[in-house]
Amino acid sequence: MSDQQTAGQRPDEAQDDRQDGAAAAVGKFLEFTDGAVASYFESCVHCGECAEACHFYLSTGDPRYTPTYKLLPMVKAYRRARAPLRTVRDMFGLLPDDPTLDELREWGPLVYDSCTMCGRCTLVCPMGIDIAGTIARMREGYVAAGLAPEGLVHATEMVRRTTSPMGVTAKALRAQVEHQEKETGIPISLDEKGAEYMAILSSMEIMGYPEVIGAYARLFKAADISWTISTKAYEATNIGVQIGSGALAREIVQRVVDAAEELGVRHVISPECGHAYGALRWAGPNLIGRRYDFEVVHIIELIDRLRREGRLPIGNRDARRITLHDPCQIVRRGGLLKEPRRLLDAAASDFVEMDNAGIANLCCGGGGGVSANPRAAELQSRAFSCKLDQLNAIEGLQAVVVPCANCRSVFEDALDEREIDNFEIIGLGELVASTLDQDKAAQG
Amino acid sequence: MSFLQIVEGPLFWVAAAVFVLGALWRVGGLIAMKRRRDIAPPTGSAAAGFIRGNLRHFLPRAAFARRTWIHLVGGYGFHLGLFVLLLFAAPHVAFLDKRILGFSWPALPRWAFILVAEIAFAGLIILWVRRISEPVMRLISDADDHVGSWLTFLVMLSGCFALQQSHDALRATHMFLVDIWLLYFPFSRLMHAFTFVLSRGHTGATYGRRGITP
Amino acid sequence: MSLRWFFILLVIPGLLTLTPLRATAQSAGGTVATGVSERGKQTLEDILARQKAALRGLKLAPGTAAAPAGAPAGPDTGPLGPRGNQSLSDIWNRWRGGDPLNLLKPYSADQVMTTSGEQWRLLRVEYIRRYAGWFPLGALVLLVAFWMYRGRIRIRAGRAGRKIARFTITQRVAHWFTAGVFILLALTGLLILLGRPLILPWLGHDAHSVLISAAMQAHNLFGPLFIAALIWLFIKFLPGNLFHPVDLGWILRLGGLFGGHVSAGRFNFGEKAWFWLLIIVGAVLSITGLAMEFPWLFADLRWLQLSTVLHAIGAIVLISVALGHIYIGSIGMEGAIDSMLEGEVDENWAREHHDLWYQEVTSTTGKEKEEASA
Ligand code: HEM
Ligand code: SF4
Ligand code: SF4
Repeated sequence: MSDQQTAGQRPDEAQDDRQDGAAAAVGKFLEFTDGAVASYFESCVHCGECAEACHFYLSTGDPRYTPTYKLLPMVKAYRRARAPLRTVRDMFGLLPDDPTLDELREWGPLVYDSCTMCGRCTLVCPMGIDIAGTIARMREGYVAAGLAPEGLVHATEMVRRTTSPMGVTAKALRAQVEHQEKETGIPISLDEKGAEYMAILSSMEIMGYPEVIGAYARLFKAADISWTISTKAYEATNIGVQIGSGALAREIVQRVVDAAEELGVRHVISPECGHAYGALRWAGPNLIGRRYDFEVVHIIELIDRLRREGRLPIGNRDARRITLHDPCQIVRRGGLLKEPRRLLDAAASDFVEMDNAGIANLCCGGGGGVSANPRAAELQSRAFSCKLDQLNAIEGLQAVVVPCANCRSVFEDALDEREIDNFEIIGLGELVASTLDQDKAAQG
Repeated sequence: MSFLQIVEGPLFWVAAAVFVLGALWRVGGLIAMKRRRDIAPPTGSAAAGFIRGNLRHFLPRAAFARRTWIHLVGGYGFHLGLFVLLLFAAPHVAFLDKRILGFSWPALPRWAFILVAEIAFAGLIILWVRRISEPVMRLISDADDHVGSWLTFLVMLSGCFALQQSHDALRATHMFLVDIWLLYFPFSRLMHAFTFVLSRGHTGATYGRRGITP
Repeated sequence: MSLRWFFILLVIPGLLTLTPLRATAQSAGGTVATGVSERGKQTLEDILARQKAALRGLKLAPGTAAAPAGAPAGPDTGPLGPRGNQSLSDIWNRWRGGDPLNLLKPYSADQVMTTSGEQWRLLRVEYIRRYAGWFPLGALVLLVAFWMYRGRIRIRAGRAGRKIARFTITQRVAHWFTAGVFILLALTGLLILLGRPLILPWLGHDAHSVLISAAMQAHNLFGPLFIAALIWLFIKFLPGNLFHPVDLGWILRLGGLFGGHVSAGRFNFGEKAWFWLLIIVGAVLSITGLAMEFPWLFADLRWLQLSTVLHAIGAIVLISVALGHIYIGSIGMEGAIDSMLEGEVDENWAREHHDLWYQEVTSTTGKEKEEASA
């Protein structure tokens, strides 16, 4: 990309540009190196444990996919400019050089294609190093240097134009909502002021799995909850946190916050989408610099809460042999570990856990912007083999609950590619909605 | 002044001072860098997470132990062995008593010392040979890793050379290497002995706010 | 073979070459065979009783010295010396017993002292210590000669760039753990064995004694680790190291070291020989080493003497062969060390050096692929 930009310039000018690019990246690296990141860099003992947790290493055996190795350029910048006692190291000529643009470019696939920011490596790391969080910060430097992968850059442009990375317009949303109203026979209000809840959705759900909207309608009707969808801010995915652009991430969060506060809702429902939850619930307030006037609640959290309050009577439980995939950003990094399990216990009669279920579950391989990055397609598909091994280990499996739209499309694509169709992929909300006891719900 | 007197006297004190000040400076520097403020409403406590994160990472998770057992055996064998030797070997207890602290505690009997030394050596050798025989380890290891391992090994080895306690030269060699090790420590990755509290703690705090123990 | 015979075989050369020993031994012999029966009742109690009596008399009533009531009266009431009333050489003869010139009776279990000690010492000094160093040196010379003759054994087809898994990380760590401990033991052991002729003349007694003390401690410390390592290595490398008929071809063609193609499975016969040599001689070293580290476990001194001899010979053999192993595993053969550093080897290396193994692994993975696509 930057080679094209520099074409036609005099060599020394090109040289300057290159240095500027690297300097911009280094500047961001340092800006984002706080005490936490610094202690990660200081304490990594190069033990290599983290590789054993990363699905990209596990599925390829390529040592370059060792999590801590992915951080190297940022570590160098830190050692050179921030590390305590660096002057002493300097006296012995032991300071590393700053990363060059070429080096950064070479590392691009490690920073973007081979890290889903799933956080699994943190569990095995004896030093508890948060690789995922550090990669997120490293990407800020990459964006500043113009080194983000094209697929993601393309998606950000789409978001700027249409608010959605898949280009879902308000018109398209309206059409899908109308369709679901017909399907369920339940009216769904748009832009309703004073509703208690505002739902946001991921493009993938709106376009690929619109039955999710119908499921919301049925669940909230049963629980007697007033809810709405804003046509100004219906998009939950946040390409900003994926590509590593704080500015864009802030813009996207701000849009949702504005819409929610304009409608005066008390809760915003984050959908079955992993990173969207992290972006709005955990990163959002820090991005816009204040807490919201509303509570962010994840749909799984909400359904679980309603069910425990007795507002969602479960009728016939799903009798299929069902297992649960733990989306990283919702479970490991989101904190919703028990909620989906309680729901599945209630809604399914043959729920079995897969190997490593729960906090240490494996990533699907497509999170953290990887699935939006065509350059990573092959790697992503290989990484899914870890997931597939887990699924294949369950005898007689009939359905997998995947409570994240992104994971879900990764699952479906990968299974399609491998021509595997002996089990179905379903969302958690839909599963609960389909097992609602309609009679009791109507009375309640 | 004999060589032994130098390495047990002035050189030791210089090395010890560099060790203490260097380590404090480095840890202090990390603490001074602060943490980015996090204003998202928490569901759990960051402070409790800091502590829980620290404790949780002492225990390997079953999901990974099957793949990493060699490293666990080597790592725990070496580290536990080293601490026991450091604090409970009879000559160390005597040295600390006479030179530094002025009080002492029961030391290990000789047979126990030997046993612990075997474990510590086995652990350290396993850790290092793993470093040279695994592509991941070969890729991520740098000079500091090797120097740290070898210096520690030589300190331990020279300590065992001196086991007979009948030659000043051997005692002096051991002390000399100890001094070098102390001088090297604060500038190297050996500092992980202190910084692990911070890194585990920071992650523990981040996750703690989300109600998760990583 | 009984211990006695084994030991006799070891002692013969010592006796035959060492005339000084023969001379002293002869002069010490002679009376031995008859000594015990002739002197009869000279017992310890007897001597002690007389000593006691003598002391009493001295203190209480000089001149009235008499055996206390109940004390056995010895027949011999002559002057009492520090050794009872016998001459020094008589006592030595009785204690030592045996007959150093009678090869069938160089020692005997009921004797206080055995003459084999001196022979053992001479064997150690005159044979083992004198010649031991030449074996590893000779091995090195052979390796240099082979290097000049054959050079580095290259992968003829060049590297394919594709890799085949050969050793797991556990196998690699077990190998290097054993190798590391072995090298430490070899260095300290050689120092202990050869320090006297090699170091002492150069550095003098003080430095020598410091070095030996250090080497001794380290050697004792790492010994037990070697035993553990050996067991680990044995378990991890046994599969593939059992004899197979193809190995005959390998032996006949001298492993192809001097050219020609030889077939081999997962391990070739050279590797198998090394494996079993290491395991068996290593076991001997372990047992004899333990004997020396815990001498009180063995009532009979001769076991310890035998242990030192076997330990030294075994160690020299292993060290010499290990040099060959290290050579061929590193600079001697292109691509060999990959298996121990990365766990994988180049496809062409596998094809050229372990063709049967190569076919085995590639055909099964091929089958799996077929099955998967079917
Ligand atoms: C320090 C230098 C050494 C190097 C470079 C080295 C190299 C190697 C290599 C490359 C192999 C694998 C050969 C193959 O792929 O088939 C191997 C195997 C082996 N090594 Fe070493 N080695 C060294 C030291 C030692 C030592 C000191 C020992 C013994 C204590 C040892 C014992 C073994 C054994 C038992 C095997 C298994 C092969 C078999 O089963 O025949 N190695 N070594
Ligand atoms: S966060 Fe996940 S994808 Fe990224 S390095 Fe760690 S384990 Fe791999
Ligand atoms: S597991 Fe942790 S300490 Fe070990 S190499 Fe990976 S990041 Fe570093």
